Amino acid sequence: MQLDSPILVDIPSNPAVLFLVRALVKRLSERLGFSSEQVERMMLAIDEACTNVIRHAYGNRTGERIVISFYVHPRQLEIHIRDFGQTASPEAFKPRDLSQVRPGGLGLHFIREGMDEVHYETPEDGGGLLRLIRYRPQPRVLT
Amino acid sequence: MKIELEEKRPGVFVVTLAGDMDMSTSPEVRKSMAPLFRPGTTQVIIALAGVTYIDSSGIATFVEGLQLSQKTTARLTLAGMNAAVEAVFELAYLREVFHIVPTVEAALGDGA
Repeated sequence: MQLDSPILVDIPSNPAVLFLVRALVKRLSERLGFSSEQVERMMLAIDEACTNVIRHAYGNRTGERIVISFYVHPRQLEIHIRDFGQTASPEAFKPRDLSQVRPGGLGLHFIREGMDEVHYETPEDGGGLLRLIRYRPQPRVLT
Repeated sequence: MKIELEEKRPGVFVVTLAGDMDMSTSPEVRKSMAPLFRPGTTQVIIALAGVTYIDSSGIATFVEGLQLSQKTTARLTLAGMNAAVEAVFELAYLREVFHIVPTVEAALGDGA
């Protein structure tokens, strides 16, 4: 399956709706042939990315906007998470020491574990754009 | 998220959760769990068989519970998590940090 244009999901910055985003990620990634472990990790990655937007880009305000775009290419699934809030600093993308047992700081780790590529960009009109890429399983060719 | 609380015997509490644990529902779990770590409590068992999803906010809630338990005489036990939930604990390198058992009955037996 591949699509010529993205699937667009426009949600409020309210954590109560993230279950819908997870459901879409689950169904779409299952349809694209990802394993159950890959599906679970991708759901977690996108959920964490949206949670980070709500917390850090929007300061937990629930009335803002998050636009999620799903690009289904032949060899990869690319997911864009666009916010229009506070741009993240490079500090926000530094991984923390996971040997420390403390709450918090796991979101970025889960994002990186769930996706093959993670890119953060700052669009000219403000806010942030997180691009997440997962390479699709490719059919084996019998020779 | 559905949360049920039962004192199984004096000082031993079972908190049964059902649903997804994410940023929207983790605060409710925190509010239910935190007050149980008080003098007189010996064990707090979180029954997780009904938890269908957990993210970092859910994990953070349990890490906070662990920190509270370490300040008291109460032991925190996580019981009955499914494979997907357990995988998230492993991904966070926290699988070995918590006391995790297969069932609530096993947890109650441990506390006997």
